[in-house]
Amino acid sequence: MGTENVPSSVIQFALADKLINIGRANSLWPLTFGIACCAIEMMATGCARFDMSRFGAEVFRPSARQSDVMIVAGTITKKMMPGIKTLYDQMPEPKWVMALGNCAISGGPFAFEGQYSIVLGADEFLPVDIYVPGCPPRPEALLQGIIELEHLVSDWKRWKNPEAA
Amino acid sequence: MEPQITAFLYQEHVLWIAAFIIGGLSFALGPIAIVYLFMPLKTRQLSDKADQFIECGMDPIGDSWIRYGVVFYLYALIFLAFDVDVLFLFPVALAYDDVMFASSIRDFIEIILFVGILSLAVVYAWIKGVFKWERKTYLRR
Repeated sequence: MGTENVPSSVIQFALADKLINIGRANSLWPLTFGIACCAIEMMATGCARFDMSRFGAEVFRPSARQSDVMIVAGTITKKMMPGIKTLYDQMPEPKWVMALGNCAISGGPFAFEGQYSIVLGADEFLPVDIYVPGCPPRPEALLQGIIELEHLVSDWKRWKNPEAA
Repeated sequence: MEPQITAFLYQEHVLWIAAFIIGGLSFALGPIAIVYLFMPLKTRQLSDKADQFIECGMDPIGDSWIRYGVVFYLYALIFLAFDVDVLFLFPVALAYDDVMFASSIRDFIEIILFVGILSLAVVYAWIKGVFKWERKTYLRR
C-alpha cells in the first residue's frame, strides 16, 4: 500500500541529511490539488491575509513531479481515488501527505450507511502523515498542520518551546 | 626522402585544452553524479504510474500524434503571399508621397507590374483550388 519505509539513497551522510532536512522543512512545496471545499480554505491560507509563505510552503506546484506535500483538501470520491494514487506515484521522494478536513480524515459527513461514492478517509489508500481536523479547517489550522509537518521532517524547531524555557 | 617533423608541438596548449575540457565536463556531469548518489533510488508507489507522462492524474485518452487537415498549412502559405505583398508596398507608400513621383506614370506602371507579379502566387493558388475549403483526405497506407 506504499506505507513501507522511505526508500534510501546510495550514500547516507547523517550531517548532510540533517542539513537537507532543515531545508526541506523550510520549503515544503505543496501540490496544487483541491478536490472539495477545503481547498477554498487552502487558497485563503496561500493568500496574503494568512500568508503561507511565512513558512516557506506557498510554492504550490502544478506538477506532481515538483512537489513535496500532497494536501488532500476535501472529499475523496471513489472516481477520484485512482487519480490521487497516480499523483502520489508521480511525486518524488521524500513525499508527505496531509489529510485536510474531516472528509479526508474519515469521510466526515459522508460516513453513513448506504453511502456508495465516497472513500472514507485518505488513509484508506495513502500513507497520511498529518491530520488537520475541521469542516473545513480554518487557515490557522492548516498552518499548524504545516508546522507539525516541519517537526516531522526535521527535528529543527521554528520556535522554542515557551514552556521548556 | 626529406626528414619529416614529427615533434609534438604546442604540448602546453594541448594540456591546457584538455584540462579545460575535463573541467567543463566535470561541471556538467558532476552535479548529476552527486545527485544520483544522494537521491532515493525509488519512490513509494500505489499504482505504479510514476512514468505516466500526463501530470493531472487522469489516464490520457489516445495519442497526441494526430493529423491535422493539410488545408490549414496551405492557408498559412497563402497568407505569406499576401503578407509579402503588403510588406513591399509599405516603402512604396512612404516614398510615393513625393514630388518626384507625383506626375510620373512610369513609376505607377512599375508598381502595378510589381504587385502583378507578386499576385501570381495568389492566382496560382486560386487555380489550384486552395480557396475552396475542402477537407483533403488521403489514403493512409
